[in-house]
Amino acid sequence: MLGWLSLPVMGLIKETLALMRKDLLLEWRGKYALSGILLYVFSTVFIIYTSFEEVEPKAWNTLFWVVLLFASISAIVKSFVQENSPRQLYYYSLTNPIAVILSKTLYNIGLLMVVSLLTWACFALMAGNAVKDNSQFFLALFLGSVGLSITFTFVAAIAGKADHSATLQAIMSFPLVLPILLTLIRLSANALRLEQDSSISDDIAILAGIDLLSLGMALLLFPFLWRE
Amino acid sequence: MKNHWWKALGVIILLYTFTAGMLLPLKPGIVAVNPSSVRTGDTVTLSVQGYNTFYTQSKTPVRAWLKLDEQRALAAKDIEVISDNALRVSFDIPAHLPVSRRVQDFTLLLDNDVDGASVLPSALLVTQDSIQPDRGETLWVNSPITDLHEKSGITFPFRNILAETIRNTYFHVALWFAMLFLFIGGVSSSVRYLAGNDLDADYRAQAQTTVGLIFGLLGLITGIIWARNTWGAGYKFWNLREVDVKQAMTMVALFVYLAYFVLRMAFEDAERKARLSAVYNIFAFVALISLIYVVPRLTDSLHPGSGGNPALGGEDLDNTMRMIFYPAIIGWTLLGFWMAQLYYRLIRAQMHLEESVGV
Repeated sequence: MLGWLSLPVMGLIKETLALMRKDLLLEWRGKYALSGILLYVFSTVFIIYTSFEEVEPKAWNTLFWVVLLFASISAIVKSFVQENSPRQLYYYSLTNPIAVILSKTLYNIGLLMVVSLLTWACFALMAGNAVKDNSQFFLALFLGSVGLSITFTFVAAIAGKADHSATLQAIMSFPLVLPILLTLIRLSANALRLEQDSSISDDIAILAGIDLLSLGMALLLFPFLWRE
Repeated sequence: MKNHWWKALGVIILLYTFTAGMLLPLKPGIVAVNPSSVRTGDTVTLSVQGYNTFYTQSKTPVRAWLKLDEQRALAAKDIEVISDNALRVSFDIPAHLPVSRRVQDFTLLLDNDVDGASVLPSALLVTQDSIQPDRGETLWVNSPITDLHEKSGITFPFRNILAETIRNTYFHVALWFAMLFLFIGGVSSSVRYLAGNDLDADYRAQAQTTVGLIFGLLGLITGIIWARNTWGAGYKFWNLREVDVKQAMTMVALFVYLAYFVLRMAFEDAERKARLSAVYNIFAFVALISLIYVVPRLTDSLHPGSGGNPALGGEDLDNTMRMIFYPAIIGWTLLGFWMAQLYYRLIRAQMHLEESVGV
């Protein structure tokens, strides 16, 4: 009975996986994005370390998320730019737009998780590890990577159509991720034991809610962008 | 005329808002008391400064109490009326208070038959030399507060920090609501554009968003002026940890919609500009809505409703204010949509002109 329903869903999953594999291969051959981001994170943390020497937990928390924010923006901004428009047209004729945005978002979630773990490792190595509650902090990192990559990927799809996409990407996405970022900083402040809060599960629920909502909006609206 | 009634309605409502909101007097209140702290055992003479009061015109003598809690109050020993808004009130503070706190605050309550009752919370701080609640009980001469008068006539409530600035509710808060309605209108126009690919809907979205942005700026400016007058110049209006939902949403909406206009500038082709900005508009509005859940969880806010500040509920927005506040929201919204319609026509005319002359 589910046969007729599962066929398009299966096709969608297949397409998504194939597109993700393509992105991964491109990255693996070029190694451009990840090494660039790594260098960016490393040099920023080095500057922080040399100017602060001793990073207090409160500054640690703020700096960590600011560095991660800029790292993720520069990791994602090229999502829709790296491939030229004839090739975009080729994808357009072949694939479902949902599969395109889903594959890019999932790929970027993976990328951001790697980037955020590397950022944390850099901080821990040079500025010291201020995290007290590991499970809570990594949960924040996970939910943050998901939320940031959904919004950034969607905005990159819009900004990619313009000439100055990097500027446009930054000014369009910063106000949009503000709710996510405020909740994340609160959550990780709790994981660093900067403040004690018993209602932290509400924050996690809000974050998961925002992630789901923006994913829904992105899937709903992306076909209109794709129709160019 | 059949299709233009709402514009006239908006103007009439706003005229009503400005007249009533600016001209109706405030209820009588107490501005300040001097001295504001004493020790137990003293006989204290307080100089009371009233606002909108008519102490000399009262037929019955002015009465005064220092209220400790709902049951217990001290009556004044002697009251000397100096002028319509100045009084001298003497109290005998007993040597011991019936409380185990070292410093106890008292609420000053005045009553006469012209002004009705007026209250100043935490008017006097009494410091106890030694804490002996048992002896305090025996020394306490309780005089219950009875037979308070009502002020007749239509007035706005007097709030201690707000005073006359309470009238700003009809501008600052009402503008914020109108801004939100305009943004909702802009988003629905964007949805209509994506559904029908009709460029007129995109011009409408642009016009409504522009007017919404102007209202947001006006709301922000009135808010800054208000904050300076009530919370002092040190208040940082841009500090997200100290602001509430309304202000945070205004600030973020400002950034979001400025980005919206930058996005529009980035494209020459009208169809492409319309589609991309409509998509961004819808996505951004949903992100903006999530601030409603996030911001209240940050910290205590100076804004109404938290940390002991006056709010738009309960006793602070009384029925007289509601009679003006709700129409003010409707009036500003109607005016906003009228402005948006005019701007929309301007954009459409410009586009037609460009099509026929330019290319």
